Amino acid sequence: MNRPKTGLLVASLVLAVVALWALAPGLFTAHDPIAGVPAEKLQAPSARHLFGTDAVGRDLFARVVHGSVHSLSGAFVAVAVGLLLGTLLGLLAGSAGGPVDDAVMRFVDVLLSVPGLLLALTVIILLGPGTVNVAIAVGTGSVAAFARLARSEVVRVRRTDYVEAAFGSGGRYPVVLWRHVLPNSLGPVIALTALQFGMAILAISTLGFLGYGAEPPTPEWGLLIAEGRNYLATSWWLTTLPGAVVVAVVLAAGRISRSIGRSTA
Amino acid sequence: MPPFTKGSPMSRSRLRFAAASAATLAVAGLLGACGGTGPAADSSTGKAKAAGQPVYGGTLTYLEHQPPTCLYLPAAGFYPNGGILNQITDKLTWQNPETLKIEPWIATKWEIDKDATEYTFHLRDGVTFSDGTPLDAEAVAANFDVYGLGDEKLKLPVAEFVNNYERSEVVDPLTVRFHFTKPSPGFLQGTSVIGAGLVSKKTIALPYEEQCRLRNIVGSGPFTVKNQVVDKEVDLAVRKDYDWAPPSSGHQGRAYLDEIKIIVTPEDNVRVGALVSGQADFVRYVQAYDEATVKNAGFTVYAEPTRGVNNGLYLRPGNSILKDRGVRKALQAGTNAKEIVETLFTSGYPVATSVLSRLAQGYTDLSKELAYDPDRAATLLDEAGWTRGPDGVREKDGRKLRLGVFVAGPQPLSKQTLELVGQQWARIGVKLEIRPADAGTQAVDIKDAEKTAVAHSMVGRADQDVIKSHFHSQNRDVILSDDEKLDRLLEEESAEPDVTERNAKVAEIQRYVVDQGYAIPLFEEPQVYGGAPYVHGVAFEAVARPSFYSVWKSERE
Repeated sequence: MNRPKTGLLVASLVLAVVALWALAPGLFTAHDPIAGVPAEKLQAPSARHLFGTDAVGRDLFARVVHGSVHSLSGAFVAVAVGLLLGTLLGLLAGSAGGPVDDAVMRFVDVLLSVPGLLLALTVIILLGPGTVNVAIAVGTGSVAAFARLARSEVVRVRRTDYVEAAFGSGGRYPVVLWRHVLPNSLGPVIALTALQFGMAILAISTLGFLGYGAEPPTPEWGLLIAEGRNYLATSWWLTTLPGAVVVAVVLAAGRISRSIGRSTA
Repeated sequence: MPPFTKGSPMSRSRLRFAAASAATLAVAGLLGACGGTGPAADSSTGKAKAAGQPVYGGTLTYLEHQPPTCLYLPAAGFYPNGGILNQITDKLTWQNPETLKIEPWIATKWEIDKDATEYTFHLRDGVTFSDGTPLDAEAVAANFDVYGLGDEKLKLPVAEFVNNYERSEVVDPLTVRFHFTKPSPGFLQGTSVIGAGLVSKKTIALPYEEQCRLRNIVGSGPFTVKNQVVDKEVDLAVRKDYDWAPPSSGHQGRAYLDEIKIIVTPEDNVRVGALVSGQADFVRYVQAYDEATVKNAGFTVYAEPTRGVNNGLYLRPGNSILKDRGVRKALQAGTNAKEIVETLFTSGYPVATSVLSRLAQGYTDLSKELAYDPDRAATLLDEAGWTRGPDGVREKDGRKLRLGVFVAGPQPLSKQTLELVGQQWARIGVKLEIRPADAGTQAVDIKDAEKTAVAHSMVGRADQDVIKSHFHSQNRDVILSDDEKLDRLLEEESAEPDVTERNAKVAEIQRYVVDQGYAIPLFEEPQVYGGAPYVHGVAFEAVARPSFYSVWKSERE
């Protein structure tokens, strides 16, 4: 009983630190993430440069810390898009049933059948590159998962006695949905939110890696890894350390999601 | 791959000779590898495996950074194209990469009249294209009529290396004469460049889109195209009856190799990794930071100069901010090329001292005019009315001093270079907006001075005309020039028959371009190749495209 809680504690700590990086990067590093010192290029990690420096002499730790705001806010937007649209679709399908349910779920089937990355790339080509657009693209990809989950919960809750009773006692349709159905079907959806948060960071980093994210020299996690890969043979820290940060955040989000899922199950 | 060395009687019989003079040969091997003059030799320490004499046979695996684009010869200056075309086509003349002298090739001799308006070439007898048709005066005339005049119906553009062309005249089957409306002193060198490769009459009569395709290019070179997987791989096979190498080549007859596999490998570290692990024999575009990896593995790094317009930033006067010469001069003074080279590159990339490379013809030293002086830059910007805003970026009439530039795919470390320039410009209050290269957007926006105020570019060619190719509004026109004086100077240069006068003109143009602030030269861009130690005899033309005609492979460990 104790060990899982340690894991949860570490996961929360990781997310808290990264959230602080995004909110107050100045507290963690004194180096400038954009302007480097060319003479100090490609230095290995040291006390002065925790994560080493890149080819232009910029402090990599500063770039990771300052980059967290792009990745985190991007992930928030992505999850918000998925959560809002997905839950809405699921709620509609699950509560209305019949032809509406069929129509919405076949649409969701189509979304699910297209690989997430491909869908995100398509949306980006339509919207153009940029941090917010990348977030929206990633969010679109997760709409289907949220819709499916929300619908299944709504279908379950919709047939419970207390919802029937609410309808029986004259509750109007939207009010019953809002007061009784939605709150009682959200548990798993929230667990999925935490999980999707981690996936979104990963997807945003992937798109950044492919060059669709922020403009250089903006520090962005995926872009940092992409830039470092050419130096893999000579300067391992350029890919490894930002990569480790992304892995840690995604794992932490997954761990928290699991604990939410367990407590609401 | 056939075991082409192990059982070869040739290598065995030469073994003793080779071992006896291993030390001398090792030196010769180095020289040969660098200069590319004829077959070279090498020796490997440890096991007695020295190979002294060239052996026939084998396949060279050559990793290329980018896939070839359009292969219509005059438009094929792009290095991935040149790497293929240099093996499958021959030219009228051969430019010695060391002396830059023009030497005979398909033309055995030539006469030029006093004012360079009439060129007569005498051709070598018995040369054929790989489709069997003869390479005679008629074929040469057909080629240059297209290169010199273009063909509107077939949509073939004029070649940038031919100026003032009027017509051709077939004197007899092996003699061809070209007439020019005005002096065209650059023409002789023009016949030696990659774009002047000779193709069969059938090829040259095809429309542009068809001439772009590799399978339609029929040349007379030492290799022919065997197979192509578009955007992935090109296989070349030796032409066994080839017997018309430039007379000054140490090697005559067919090429040593049987086959060349050109594989497109865009990822930089994959190319270098494949090379040092023995999966590839030769690679193009070793990045500066990988040079040490290649050298430490005992492999050779070939950094070949391109002798043309330097790698640099070219400022477009058509942009509403850059139309002010003061701003352009300020950016020039506010860019520290030395810091860029020292941070990102190696000794193979000398800091630029003019618009042209030190090895270019007509070069003049302008390092004083190009000195880094951020204080002067700031003063110039103040004078131009741009004042610092609250965020450090200068403003004028509510407009921020922001300039757009695209990351240049073909230029080495373009993104890092631009980031560093952006850092330097930020100090003088200028914001450089770097856009990643996305082919679609770039194709549209690169021609728009408002969106792309600055171009990151270079061009290589070992003739004075290279500066015209780069700047003239009818040629590459990197600055989207609206400067009539510049066009006029360039035209005067390209029509000047006297070499001293012509070089003086080129110097004047360089001074003018720097004085107007059109150019911020950064460094003299080399083409950097990596080769395995058992690959010998690689040669390069004057602007660093490889020739694999004399290449042979000795036994590897």
